[in-house]
Amino acid sequence: MSKGGRADTASKGRREKIKQQQAAARAQEKRRKMVTYVTAGAVAVAAVGLGWWYSASTTRSEEAAGALAPITVQPDGSVVMAKSGVTRPVIDIYEDFQCPACKEAERVSGQTFKNLAAEGKAKVVYHPITIFSQEPTRSNSLRAGAAARCVADGRQWMAFHDLLFDNQPAETVQGFKVDELARWGKEAGVTAPDFQQCVTSQKHVQTQLSYSTKIMSEQKLTHTPTVKLNGTEMDNQVIFSPSELRDAVTEAAK
Amino acid sequence: MAASPSSLKARKAIPWVTTAARLILGGVLIAAGALKIGNPSDSVVAVKAYQLLPDSIAVTVGHILPILEIVVGVLLVVGLLTRVAAAIAGLLMLAFVVGIAWAWARGLRIDCGCFGGGGQLGAGQEPAYLLDILRDFGLVLLGAWTIRFPPGRLALDGALGLGATEHDEGEDQR
Repeated sequence: MSKGGRADTASKGRREKIKQQQAAARAQEKRRKMVTYVTAGAVAVAAVGLGWWYSASTTRSEEAAGALAPITVQPDGSVVMAKSGVTRPVIDIYEDFQCPACKEAERVSGQTFKNLAAEGKAKVVYHPITIFSQEPTRSNSLRAGAAARCVADGRQWMAFHDLLFDNQPAETVQGFKVDELARWGKEAGVTAPDFQQCVTSQKHVQTQLSYSTKIMSEQKLTHTPTVKLNGTEMDNQVIFSPSELRDAVTEAAK
Repeated sequence: MAASPSSLKARKAIPWVTTAARLILGGVLIAAGALKIGNPSDSVVAVKAYQLLPDSIAVTVGHILPILEIVVGVLLVVGLLTRVAAAIAGLLMLAFVVGIAWAWARGLRIDCGCFGGGGQLGAGQEPAYLLDILRDFGLVLLGAWTIRFPPGRLALDGALGLGATEHDEGEDQR
């Protein structure tokens, strides 16, 4: 081998070394970027997960604690649920069987209202009204409201009330048909012989309508659900958060 | 470089356009999320009002949407994980376009629930579907631009060296 060749090999070796160092630096840089990228991604995903968990936990429904408090259907069609002797605080629930937000309120906080009454911590009064002015929602709501007025027994009324919300039709279709209503009544345990006839003849439609008009103007209702605690309207944030709702009611009982 | 002065100018403007796109898209997402996050039930009702998803999925979407919008919005504004954030934001907006178009086609009378609100329209209110769709489609385009030319100026991705992918390496570096 010639001298020049050897020098050539040496410089080749040096160049090789530099190349290797550069490659190592590049790999390290790549690793650093990867770690930064993955960390940022993980933090973002964790933030979404945490927010989701928190959001879901504020609206977590209560479990049924035991038997319901005694329920009585009043002559005007409102329904009182309270342990005997419990007169305050009063929770007035104004709801429409056809209103999606009412369905959601029942899904989230319905059990809390029942539990509070069962624990003797509140007197709960349901006022089923018809707030819709457009079709088909108005007629749907009227049929359901009139059918509920055919149930005289408190326990059966509550079961029927729950079934109506569970089976709420979409707002664009005709629903709460009389045969469906009669069937759900049976499912709710209604045994009164004239129930079927009462539902199909829709004999309480006019009463439901005049009751709604009266209550809406008296109570100055602009939307459903409206829930009042001792006459003061509660924020949606409270109504839709079982734990906040329970706290507000317990506070009012003091 | 053999570029003419005008194309050079355009090349210099591109990262700034990306920055503007990021700020608009991110700002809208943050606003939309913030207005909804205080009342998840409204958000759930709004999602259900579209009658597009089964109830159990609608509940999950209603809860996750506000926080997702805020997190993605913040990522876009600070320019971190720009490309991924822009892709998620673009897909969200595309989903909203589809949802609103669906509601329109089915003749539903709902509020889009985009910036809070329970999805229900009061008496006498009319839905503004076309406006909602145009706005959201515009935001899809901003998302697409950001995916194509990330991360723009004033971006954490740039500062951390995360922004440029192989094919636009050098182009987007400060």
